[in-house]
Amino acid sequence: MKVKYIINGKEEEYEIHPGEVLLDVLRRNGHTEIKGNCYLGTCGACTVLIDGVPHTSCTILAAKVNGKEITTIKGIGELDSPHPLQQAFVKTGAVQCGFCTPGAILSAYALLKKNPDPTEEDIKKALDGNLCRCTGYVQQIEAVKFAVKLLKEGKNE
Amino acid sequence: MLKLKGVEEVYYPTSVKEAVDLLRKNKDVAEVVGGGLDISVLPNPRIKYLIFLDKLNLNYVKDAGEKIKIGAMSSITDMINAEPLKDYLHGRVKEILSEIATELLRNQITVGGSLGKREPYSDIVTLLYGLNAKVVLSDGEWDEELGINDLYRENFRKGLKERIIKEVILEKYDTGKFFFSMKRHIRNATDIALLNEAILIEKDGNKIKNAIVAVGARPKPAYLFREATEFLKGKELSKELAEEFGKFVESNVETGTDIRTTAEYRAHIAGVFAKRIILESLEG
Repeated sequence: MKVKYIINGKEEEYEIHPGEVLLDVLRRNGHTEIKGNCYLGTCGACTVLIDGVPHTSCTILAAKVNGKEITTIKGIGELDSPHPLQQAFVKTGAVQCGFCTPGAILSAYALLKKNPDPTEEDIKKALDGNLCRCTGYVQQIEAVKFAVKLLKEGKNE
Repeated sequence: MLKLKGVEEVYYPTSVKEAVDLLRKNKDVAEVVGGGLDISVLPNPRIKYLIFLDKLNLNYVKDAGEKIKIGAMSSITDMINAEPLKDYLHGRVKEILSEIATELLRNQITVGGSLGKREPYSDIVTLLYGLNAKVVLSDGEWDEELGINDLYRENFRKGLKERIIKEVILEKYDTGKFFFSMKRHIRNATDIALLNEAILIEKDGNKIKNAIVAVGARPKPAYLFREATEFLKGKELSKELAEEFGKFVESNVETGTDIRTTAEYRAHIAGVFAKRIILESLEG
């Protein structure tokens, strides 16, 4: 079957198997910025935003979200113009192996869109589905707080 | 990793009637998809047709006078953010919902999907049992409102090949007369429950007029613990009652052993939760 998505603002059409999950469809079509790991919705590495809401793309059937808007980590900032969250993750040492980073940033991005002034508890809650085995989470929380500061100041750094 | 290899076709019905017609036509090889978490994590190789309910406008949480109506396609996050549930039972329901699974999964899990799947570890099923929720089943022409226990009568899975879960209805309880709490025993913040327990108490002054006690993840699916209700009825709320009730629950609750823990441990936890909930009710 054919499905259409708007991925990072660009309309794309793919041929899929109706029983496939979104993660496989996106990676097969070049979106390798989305990482895959558990296929159980447990680790959050495959997080994408679907109509602005973070989801584990390994548990979402690709056919179910036909027609939806999908945002990957590449959709929020580029190498030469990173989003404040991306800058903050680098600045605070919240990136080590980097495998969980796209998912964690997207979860944080969705949080800040909804709540630009989150408490530490809000940040922890928003990131609770994004496992990180390197940083111990402290730096990730600091990164989100730093991004809040950058966004409030209206500058990228 | 192709999870649902057997799937040949998917449908996007635009009415409950159309969804039910598709379901009835394809019965054992068709599956209605709520959030789709369960179907992708525990795929059934026999399924050939998937019926997505996303176009049925069943994503809502409405204040309906003395009741709150929740569309079957509402996610846990939708419920957490819904205005009618914000202060419902002093915000306890919202608090419990926000502790289930993770943000990412709360965005996917739907109330209808949780009820339809009735996974043994489901917190939603125990929660709705405890709240004495009603479930609306529909074939597109006729709606039937059932208690959760009636929904889960014999062959309920067969029944869900004839009708779909359309809505959940919650009673608005007067917090001056009712107390509600739910506890979950988990090994880490995002784990599935080793045991969960929900209790609703109707008070007459300091006396218990009626109560609902639901226990789930035993590891069998949630059930109404009627003996516990009978134990509580007519008794005065007190610290002594909390002690006695805790012991009663530990001795009488039906639990089992699985790879994750033993029946004895689950029974002990159920007793501890029962005691704590009664103590909490003393504080209001």
